[in-house]
Amino acid sequence: MAVRTISPDVYSIGAIDWNLRLFDALIGTPEGTSYNAFVVKGTGKTALIDTVDPAFEESLLKNLMRIGISSLDYIVINHAEQDHAGSLPLLLDMFPGATVVADEKCRDLLGRLLDVPEDRVTVVKDGDTIDLGGKTLEFIVAPWVHWPETMMTYLKEDGILFSCDLFGSHLATSELFVRDFTKVERMAKRYFAEIMMPFRSSVLAAMQKVAERDVRIIAPSHGPLYDDPSLILDVYAEWTSDTVKNLVLLPYVSMHGSTAKMVSYLTDALIERGIEVQPYDLSKSDLGDIAMTTLDAATIVIATPTVLFGPHPVALNAAYILSALRPKTKFISVIGSFGWGGKTVQTLVDTLSHLSAEVIDPVYIRGYPTGEDLAALNVLADTILKKHEGLLTRSQEGSG
Amino acid sequence: MEKFKCMICGHVYDPAKGEPKQGLKAGIDFADLPADWVCPVCGAAKEKFKGVV
Repeated sequence: MAVRTISPDVYSIGAIDWNLRLFDALIGTPEGTSYNAFVVKGTGKTALIDTVDPAFEESLLKNLMRIGISSLDYIVINHAEQDHAGSLPLLLDMFPGATVVADEKCRDLLGRLLDVPEDRVTVVKDGDTIDLGGKTLEFIVAPWVHWPETMMTYLKEDGILFSCDLFGSHLATSELFVRDFTKVERMAKRYFAEIMMPFRSSVLAAMQKVAERDVRIIAPSHGPLYDDPSLILDVYAEWTSDTVKNLVLLPYVSMHGSTAKMVSYLTDALIERGIEVQPYDLSKSDLGDIAMTTLDAATIVIATPTVLFGPHPVALNAAYILSALRPKTKFISVIGSFGWGGKTVQTLVDTLSHLSAEVIDPVYIRGYPTGEDLAALNVLADTILKKHEGLLTRSQEGSG
Repeated sequence: MEKFKCMICGHVYDPAKGEPKQGLKAGIDFADLPADWVCPVCGAAKEKFKGVV
């Protein structure tokens, strides 16, 4: 990636990964990503803030050469995950005089994950500062956004917040700053759902610390930067809130058509009742899309047949991930069909136990759905409608 | 005695069960756990726990 100037003596020198299509061997990144790293040059000292995925360390070194860096005083590590800290061992070899700056938990993780010697690390606490000469770095410790050691770095004079994964997006773009937020918002939302959603309460605490400072630029470690921070702060305020929409997420898998028939029938029944519905065929869909939809969905209905004694493994996998992401979804249910037995409903409900959601009576039938079974789906749609109306009334009361 | 749930990973500390893996016997109130006690599942600090009914 080319070197770009953010403000005088502050450079973006990270790497763009145009072709990444699967992150952590788990979630799709249809538009690639970037590993952002930054250099802040003071009159006395120079700091590098974060590194890049080790696959791109050569690009990082080239960029350091391009801006004439022959020595580094500090390497600030906001987060020990390898896509940000992975090039650190090489940098420590190349710059023997450089000191790593990290919080205590991060020092521990850098030792364990990357074998970084403790004596190369200076531990900072929340609110500590380093003066580079006309450029002051303040460290904002933000645990559990999204690892225990996460931290942000604030460059006071320029009002730049190096926010690490917070406010990030998996998006490869040649634009340094967000120019078309409608395009970026979708990727930022996906990213929030995949990475930040389980830590909503910690994200809120971190946002409070951001609000206390004069932040003019937000520079996350993935995706483009914001020179209008309100764009991303406003949507984060909504995403971290308890508000859900009149929306049903319907992830499904079908083997012989019975469950697919039920999904199709329930989808229509919900539409007829004015409820937004988003079915996803789990055998074809991307988990990131599903995660993003959970952010808004008041209800999740998982649809699966029984395979041997339990849910189809693809449905169980989805339930496991949804449970781990802990969306603010208020209601869950299960629909589907079985041949001769099994414990599908119980297994799925147990798997989703991390959600603080009420279970609506499942419609789990034997064989191909008959008229009676379809009538039960109408009852389910009616129940969902009532539950959603109840939510809406409560939120109106709350705002009034 | 009240149960406490980890807001990070969802683990529930149940005084009636204790934390056998951490060598904590049943009957210890959440408030009486040491200040540096951490969640046995994710390592979150005590203040990340909230009381649940």
